[in-house]
This record gives sequence, C-alpha cells and structure tokens, in this order.
Amino acid sequence: MTSLDAARELLREFPVVDGHNDLPWALREQVRYDLDARDIAGHQRAHLHTDIPRLRAGGVGAQYWSVYVRADLPDAVPATLEQIDCVRRLIARHPGDLRAALTAADMEAARAQGRIASLMGAEGGHSIANSLGTLRGLYALGVRYMTLTHNDNVDWADSATDEPKAGGLTAFGREVVREMNREGMLVDLSHVAATTMRDALDATAAPVIFSHSSARAVCDHPRNIPDDVLERLPANGGMAMVTFVPKFVLQAAVDWTAAADDNMRAHGFHHLATTAEAMKVHRAFEETNPRPVATVATVADHLDHMREVAGIDHLGIGGDYDGTAFTPDGLDDVSGYPNLIAELLDRGWSRPDLAKLTWQNAVRVLGAAEDVARGLQATRPASHATIESLDG
Amino acid sequence: MADLHDEPRTLPEVGELDDEAQAASFGPWAPLTAEEATEATEATGAGETAREAGRPAQEPGSTPLERARALLAAHPVADGYSALPSALRQLPWYDLQHGESAVDTDVPRLRRGNVGALLWSLHLPEGLTADRAVGATLEQLDLARSVIAAHPEGLRLARSAGQIIDAHHCGRVAVVLGPATAAALDDSLGVLRVLRSLGVRVLTLSGTSWAGGDAGLTRFGEEVVREMNRIGVLADLSGAGDLTVGRVLTLSRTPVLCTRSAARALRPHPANLSDELLAGLGAAKGLCLVPLTAEQTGPGLRDVADHLDHVRAIAGPDCVGLSGTYDSGVAHPQGLADASGYPHLIAELLRRGWPETDIALLTWGNVQRVLRTADFVARAAQDRGEPPTARITELDG
Repeated sequence: MTSLDAARELLREFPVVDGHNDLPWALREQVRYDLDARDIAGHQRAHLHTDIPRLRAGGVGAQYWSVYVRADLPDAVPATLEQIDCVRRLIARHPGDLRAALTAADMEAARAQGRIASLMGAEGGHSIANSLGTLRGLYALGVRYMTLTHNDNVDWADSATDEPKAGGLTAFGREVVREMNREGMLVDLSHVAATTMRDALDATAAPVIFSHSSARAVCDHPRNIPDDVLERLPANGGMAMVTFVPKFVLQAAVDWTAAADDNMRAHGFHHLATTAEAMKVHRAFEETNPRPVATVATVADHLDHMREVAGIDHLGIGGDYDGTAFTPDGLDDVSGYPNLIAELLDRGWSRPDLAKLTWQNAVRVLGAAEDVARGLQATRPASHATIESLDG
Repeated sequence: MADLHDEPRTLPEVGELDDEAQAASFGPWAPLTAEEATEATEATGAGETAREAGRPAQEPGSTPLERARALLAAHPVADGYSALPSALRQLPWYDLQHGESAVDTDVPRLRRGNVGALLWSLHLPEGLTADRAVGATLEQLDLARSVIAAHPEGLRLARSAGQIIDAHHCGRVAVVLGPATAAALDDSLGVLRVLRSLGVRVLTLSGTSWAGGDAGLTRFGEEVVREMNRIGVLADLSGAGDLTVGRVLTLSRTPVLCTRSAARALRPHPANLSDELLAGLGAAKGLCLVPLTAEQTGPGLRDVADHLDHVRAIAGPDCVGLSGTYDSGVAHPQGLADASGYPHLIAELLRRGWPETDIALLTWGNVQRVLRTADFVARAAQDRGEPPTARITELDG
C-alpha cells in the first residue's frame, strides 16, 4: 500500500478538521451570494479552491467556515450577519454533505453520518464593533471562534501586521477574552501580534486556537507563531492549526513577496492593488523574478517543528483556502490534504499521531471550551462592560 | 441510516420545555423548527378560543370586574408593545420577579393584570446612526435573552403561537421578540433572516428608504415584505405612511399588525388609523393593537374603551387588540398606569355590552390567530427555491 493510500484510509476514519476556509467571502465577492452561479455540488475548479467533490476527495470531515468581513467596511456587523446567512444557506442547500455543528458532539455526530461538520469562525474583532452584547449575539448565531484581529489593529488588540498600539490586549480586550470563555467561543490568535498572543494566553481560562498560522522559527513572518508561544500550548490545552499560505510558510516566498510589494510601491501602486495597470506591473516583475513555490514538504517542515515545540496534542490544520491567491504544490485546493498526511507518514508520524492532528485535537479543544463555559456561567453573570468604561 | 438514529435524551424538568424545544428557542439554523411546523399546520386557534369563551365565565350576578378577571384568567392579555428591554438598559440592577418600581412592568403586576404574553419592542433610541442599528439590535436581543434567562419562573421566550400557549400553560408570561426597527436590516435580506433565527417575529416598516414614497414600498421594500412572509416575520405598520399601509395590505400574504395605532376619527394623531385604513385592515384580517397612551387615545380609561369600540365597529372584532406601550416613556390614561389595570378596562368593555367571545379575541385570540397564520404561510413557502439575496442597489437603483 502506498503512503497516499494509507493516508486516504486514515482520513476515512479520522477526517480533517480545517480551521479556516474563506468560501463565504469568495461567494460574496464573486457572485454576491448567488449560490446557483457557484454551485459547490459540482466542481468549481475554475473559480474556487473549495467545492463538495473536492472536500470529499480531500477527506475533510469538519470545516470552520470563516464569516470574515473586511475591516474597512463601514458596516462590519451586518456584513458578518450576511456571511452567517450564507453559511446557513450552504448547509441548507447541501443537507447530504454538510451538517451544522455547534458543539464537539455535533462534530462527532457529523462524522458518524459521513457528513462534513460545518462550524463558523469570525475573523477579526471588528465584527463585534466593541460590543460584548454583539459578541454574544454572534455566539447565539453559531459562531464558535473569533480571531481577535485581522490585518489591522482593533481598538482593544494589536495585530501582527499593524503598528503596535495597545502593546497586546487592553483591559477591554481582556474582558472580550473572558466573555468569549464564558460563552464557549474559542479565542483565535492567528493574525494577532505576539504581544496579543501572550496577553490572551494570560487572560484565557479556556484553550485557545490558531486557526491558520505556522511556525515563526521555520519561516520568519509575523503571521506565524513564535516558539515561546507554541511552548505555552500544552499548559493551555489549545492548538495551532498549520496554514499553507506560501508567503507565510516559505522563506523564499516571504522575501519574494516583500520584493514584489516594494516593486509595486516603486511604481506608485498600493502593494495589494489589482487594477489592470497594477497587474501589468506585477506580471512584469513575476516574469523576471519567478515566484518561489512551496510544497507539501514545506508545510510538513512546519509541522515537524511545531510538534517538537508544542507537542502532538496541540496541532491541527487550517488551510486558508479561498482566502489566499497561491497555494503550495500538492496542496492546490481542498482535495490536497491526503498528500500532506502521506508526507507525514513517510516522515514516520504514527497513525495515532495523525488522528490527533486531523481530527481528535480539534474536537477536544471545542469540547474543552464548552466545559469551561458551563463552569463560568455558573459562577459569573454576563459582562456588560463597555470599552469606554475599561479603556477610558 | 445514521440519520434515523435518535440521540439519547434526558427528561425535561417539570415546567421546562424538553431539549428539542430548548434548542429551538435559539436554535440557530432553520427559520422554522419542526415543532413550529406542526403547530403551524394545526387549526388556527381563534375559533377554538371563541368557543371556549362562549362558556359562562361566572354565575350571573357577579360584578363586571369579577367577570373581567374570570375572563382574563382564561384569555389573558397578549400585549402588543412593551418597551421593557430598553427601559432596563438604563438600570444597573433590577428584580422583575419580586417587583421593580423603576419600571412599569414586573412579574407581580403582570400577574395582577392577567398578562399572558408580551411583544417586546427592540426599537432603538433616537439618533442612532444606521450603521450602528444592527449591532444595537443584537445588543437589545442579548439583553432580552438575558432578562428572560434571569427570570425563569416569570418569563419564557416564545418563538411561535404554539410556544405562547405552552408558556401560558406552564404559568409563564410568554415573551415574543419584536417589533424591531426596519433600520436593523441594514437593507439586507440576509440580515432579516439572521434576526428571524434569533427569534424576531415583528418588524416595523418605517424609518427606512424602502418604505414610503409614492408607491408606499420600493421594489426592494416589496422584496422585504415577501421575504418576511416566507420566513414568518409580521409587518408592523404603526408609524408607516398611509400609502405604505395600503401597499403592504395588498401585498402581504400574512395578516399585518399595527402595534400602536388607535382611531384617527376619534383622535387625530399621525400614528392613528383613518376609518378607511381600519376597514382595509379589517378586510385583510390584520390586527390593530390600540395603545394605552394618553396622547393617542385620550386621558381616561373610557377614552381607550371608545377607541376599542370604534376599531371593533370599523375593522371588526377579529381585528382589534391591546397594546400596553408600557416603559416606552409615554403618559398613560388614568387607571391604566401599568399592566395591572387591564381588568378594569375589560370590566368597562363588559359594561358596554361587549360579548365575552369578542373580549377573548381582543385580549388573546387575535394575536394567536395572526402569529399562527404567519407560521402557516411561512411553512407553506419554505421549500420554494433559494432564499432571495437581492440588494437594494439592484432593485431601487
């Protein structure tokens, strides 16, 4: 039996829980939520990383669908609700393949039924507009993790990719973490500054997750996790879900992206501009400077390191499909997970280890957050603190 | 096969709903639960209520007030507008269970007034910018949920007509969420569906770009009303322009509400309805909930009774109800300062010769009928195609 066959067999029993997939945002941007125009029941290779046939081929058993909205929208809260509506419509549209999941028990039930447990995660504290009531509203609607920031700081937490301002979490930021603990919503530390990671680990009573982040010691990018934070995961009980985004995981790609961004700015464009002229400049750069390509081995290198530092009980997978333009060779879309598992088998990872990586750790962490929430709800009332009252 | 396996279930506590119903109370996914579906297919409750009311409530010779109390015991008040959540928002501490003098509404007074159900307004304070309206409505819903959760012996959330009855049978005051303000949709049908899944059953169609104008509703506004019908959210037309009222009456396949409207023929307040609209409302089997406010109905209990007489005469006994409007900061007629005054109002109506069947409809039956019809229409429409996602910019330019 080849290792790829062995990987597929393993995934049949312990499918992948993926921490982050931006399909809802892609559907919003591409077709304004017209689900007929991008029917994921069939292949959508031309437009999307994600559809049901490829989720099935990839051995995905649970997906945290991101209900991300851009932080610069004037109305982040209603836009987030529209994203939630989109996920629900997807679930309602594909009842044989997707199942709504709110708890660890729901995840196991979906696995037993051969359906893909569908959970939701909000990406960025801007989605609660500085309101704990809105945070609880998102929980009531089924959101089970919130990334504290996206690429920009929020008023109460620093992002990894913005200028330091709060120096981590403010007092209100810590209250947000405490209230997430009380509700049972996982605290997601992808995208946040290392200072915020440490503050959140100090403040939280429940396991945290990194829904899509890799190891900074392997590839020095602010979106990745420093070793001193990875080392704290065993005591916290949480998990880091390795991401595949080439410009975060491959040092050559990090350097190439920095050079490409500089080139864009030198030509007077914003580095993320996608206008026709901007793309021309970008393509010219790419012709003379071939884009470095990450591979399955690149991601496996991160996992080897993260395992060494955090331990096998604290790892997971968060591909960031449909949230990134480029993907590694062999992990081109959501059908690629078996290639990663095969690579790890070749590197000597045991079946029990891989079962933890793909399925068991993520289920354990959500269940632990539920347990902590039950305890906290019995001992303290919901917080009605405001950012004005705590941060002045 | 695995789909057919039952999950292990624990027995509910006495007086609590079972697991399924609990999950449904904020059950996140389906706009209507299976339980609501069966309720919706049951007979509409009004006729049954009326039959029960036909039984003599008391032996002859009792006073109107005694008869009123006996009637209310069987057919409590379903109050069409309570602003309690926003009043509580201002208070650092409150105890509704044992009595709270800082507000008009608490459990002891609801009991004395024989209130069986409350529509909790989620309207927002004046001057809130549109982009804050959705978040502020989520906060109101959060507050409503926590108040209900903090008073499990007095209050219970009800998402459907059937759950109102369940709550009443368990001795709880049923709380129905709504009316919410139209601005809370942020012009998005997706947001409307999400609010419905949080329990919102009524939406006030005013203060928005798509309700009003020469046609009463813009094309997007019509799409909103159709989607409200499809998912079981009632339209509240109090405060909407006459053209909007007319257009929604024509368009809606579910009866509409006016949560705070009295008779304009008796008192020319802009939120009161002309006889023409009252007749139209009656023809469409909608519901005019007469507010107990000095401004809209007059300074005395008899003034309120005059309005009820008038609305009943023009719109019909199936189309009139009560709206306490307590805790909304308005002055109330004498004798109706809080919810405990309802029996006196009913006694007055008995003195005026209202048949007990009509009083049963006024207090309880009509609200039941309208919610049940909404549930039924929604259930019938649920499986027809994809939920719409039209944007206001596409339809209204």
